[in-house]
Amino acid sequence: MRIGIDVGGTHTDAVLLDQHTVLASTKALTSANVKDGVLDALDRVLQDSGIAHCALSAVMIGTTQFTNAVIERRELTPTAIIRVALPSGAMIPPMLDWPDDIAAAVGRHVYMVHGGQTYDGFPIAPLDEQEIDAAIEDIAAKGIDRIAISAVFSPSDPAQEIAVGERVLARLPDARLTLSHKIGGMGLLERENAAILNTSLLTLADNVISAFGEALREREIDCPLYISQNDGTLMSAEFAAEFPALTFSSGPTNSLRGASVLTQLSDAVVVDIGGTTSDIGVLQGGFPRQSNVAIRVGGVRTNFRMPDIQAIGLGGGSLVSDAGETLGPQSVGYRLLTEGLVFGGDTLTATDIAVAAGATGIGDAARVAGLDSAVVEAALARIHAIIDAGIDQMKSSREPVPVVLVGGGAVLVSRSLGTASELHRPKNAGVANAIGAANAQIGREIEQIVSYRTTPREQVLSQLQQQLTAALLQAGAAPDTLRIADIEETAISYMAEESTRLRVKLVGDLDLSQGRSGAGKTAPGPAQVGDQA
Amino acid sequence: MTTISHEDVEDLCTGSVFLATGGGGDPYISQLLVTEALKQYGPVDLLPLAELPDDALVVAIGEVGAPSISLEQLPVGSECLTVIDRFEAFTGRSITHLVSFEVGGANSVIPLMAAAARGLPMLDGDGMARALPEAQMMTFAIEGVSPGPAVAVDYTGACVYFDVTDTTLYERQIRALAMTMGGMVFTAEHPMSSEQARRAVIPGTISFALALGRLLREQAGNATLIEAHLSTLFAQSDYGVFKHLYTGKVVDIQRKTVGGFDVGEAVLESTVGNRSTLRLTIKNEFLLARIGEKIVASVPDLITMVDHETSAPINAERLHYGQRVTVFGIGCPPHYRTEAALRVVAPRAFGFDCDYVPLEEL
Repeated sequence: MRIGIDVGGTHTDAVLLDQHTVLASTKALTSANVKDGVLDALDRVLQDSGIAHCALSAVMIGTTQFTNAVIERRELTPTAIIRVALPSGAMIPPMLDWPDDIAAAVGRHVYMVHGGQTYDGFPIAPLDEQEIDAAIEDIAAKGIDRIAISAVFSPSDPAQEIAVGERVLARLPDARLTLSHKIGGMGLLERENAAILNTSLLTLADNVISAFGEALREREIDCPLYISQNDGTLMSAEFAAEFPALTFSSGPTNSLRGASVLTQLSDAVVVDIGGTTSDIGVLQGGFPRQSNVAIRVGGVRTNFRMPDIQAIGLGGGSLVSDAGETLGPQSVGYRLLTEGLVFGGDTLTATDIAVAAGATGIGDAARVAGLDSAVVEAALARIHAIIDAGIDQMKSSREPVPVVLVGGGAVLVSRSLGTASELHRPKNAGVANAIGAANAQIGREIEQIVSYRTTPREQVLSQLQQQLTAALLQAGAAPDTLRIADIEETAISYMAEESTRLRVKLVGDLDLSQGRSGAGKTAPGPAQVGDQA
Repeated sequence: MTTISHEDVEDLCTGSVFLATGGGGDPYISQLLVTEALKQYGPVDLLPLAELPDDALVVAIGEVGAPSISLEQLPVGSECLTVIDRFEAFTGRSITHLVSFEVGGANSVIPLMAAAARGLPMLDGDGMARALPEAQMMTFAIEGVSPGPAVAVDYTGACVYFDVTDTTLYERQIRALAMTMGGMVFTAEHPMSSEQARRAVIPGTISFALALGRLLREQAGNATLIEAHLSTLFAQSDYGVFKHLYTGKVVDIQRKTVGGFDVGEAVLESTVGNRSTLRLTIKNEFLLARIGEKIVASVPDLITMVDHETSAPINAERLHYGQRVTVFGIGCPPHYRTEAALRVVAPRAFGFDCDYVPLEEL
């Protein structure tokens, strides 16, 4: 039995799950004090289900606290960045293209030193200890103890980031660091940005993660605590306190993962129909298909992989015009409950059409009884055509696919869709995020530029798989459940044929029979992949 | 004479991605560098080819190598200054004007950096009017300009001097060199006298890319709405012909890497009316477009694909199933329509078994 909690900006939702069965769920407002909201959610699901706290084997929390801190430029700690790359990048210093307000919140404490290596492992410049020490002294003199470190091609060989990190800790033993290779793949500026954001969030992360732990301890819940990360897998609370930035896209990811758990589908298109827009995402092998474009978080370019989500301008509040031929993108939005016809207003919305067609009983159906049936028919056809076109654009082949409808506007779809092989409308879709958080999979990924000319493909893959396996076992995965979730290979144009950017992701199921240690104690942290390279 | 300031760089990059016909790489790093350089040194004079004095020494500068590598190992930023210094030291001559290799992709803006720092004017023109993968495809080579004396520098400032007269040979050498020098080098090459430059440089392409980028920003929106504006702009230029080829949805995309090139084919299904599929052949750039069995556009004419809703140009690397796109065909300037040019830039030069037919005859 496990509890999944989604701590969002406005709502804190929780579910208590036995395998895939929802025993209890709750939806409450997020409290100013994070711990109180979590305590409240825990109390409600335990009370409603009648389950004893000692029957729990894990608690999983998904949170947008860190994303919101970046977007709102609050609770960020001043952070220094040491980039190991000179002479390369000399005229493109770190944070060059950051918006001024967030750069000011973090401070432009930028240091560049010699080092790094080329794509084929040749040193760009030797490390200069005096230069590094001078940077560290300057950082120390400013009283800064949050430091990000980046180096060219560190995902392929992190040795220089590790060496500089050790030098910083020798001088500033209490400093907190983020080494860029631990938080991102290829693309120096984006990975460096991610490392800086992560470092600036470490203080907030300590507070938030320990508040979660305290909440568990106060209710004497004696099981491991996990936090959901960007790709939909879990990390230990201890690891999350080191890498809060890995939660940046866990919100939309958990929503898609929740739809997967509720329907037991691993490959499907998920349509979340809200008041103004519908968000369409794709599940592949149980995980969201990820976007491959550079993602900006609070205006800062990062290479975090976010779920590939397409928003279309159709929702329950969409305005209906042209005798039903046009729907949206204008919408009454949250004012649907006062302005829609069936709610006593005088605006014809998509929801009114659904009620007039008998697809749902919400509101006062008598208020739409007089609508011209031709208009209702035209609008219904248009609603289905718009959603069909949106799904078609997202699915990855011509064949119809299973479609999962969630969100308050799901009632708009009352007929079959040409793109859908089957339609699912799961119960409990309102707490899909919390259900998605309560998944029991743990994952790690690694990205490198490799040359199959130097090392055969099978050998490269098996080396990376070994590193990832060690990391996952240490993080608490059951050995017989490990599997490769994704291998992505991108050839590098203008280079020899065998030069390839390789990304491998390994996932496994949590072994929930182990790790029942002290109250609210964090689960064992995963191995640091880079240390083994 | 016009000038280019730091405020123009983003528009110039947008225009150059459109003219890169699916190739050219991500110009983001160059855009950052050039913007900073123009902020620091002030605007650069963009000299019309017709105003080139008789005693000029025009040199082409840019980067050669794998664009994706430089997203990790950033350029120093001073390479294009070093390469000018080394060129002048080796040849004992002073460069008076800089020119771009190709207006498509990152190389459109790289000479601006050096021009700003050295106070040199940049010629309003380039050697391709688009993007193409190899040096012998530049009009400089086609018009008989020798690639050497040429100089290549890497991130350490290390320098290689080329005394070579055949551009195809030079292309092989510089490509191999780039791979051993961190994956990317900056070169100064194809030095031209005024008389040579007037023949070999395609005029007006930099100011055209700037106007194109500005139009794409100001008219941002559906491709159907922007088409008339684009058509007018291209009709008034050396490109001349502008055609809507297809609006449809990507239903299949296949890619593999052969000899350092991204080779593949994309299939589009029509979303307007009931037309046959459009097949696009890719070799870094979009090179051939067929509807059914009929070729509707072929290299060296330009085939550009834009997102149908936003009109943002789409790079071949980012193509995926389901995208709604509009494909335009654009005539190449007269420089690419000569017999000598077609020997190196027509479909057969890329290994395709078909002849070039000008867009306006299709």
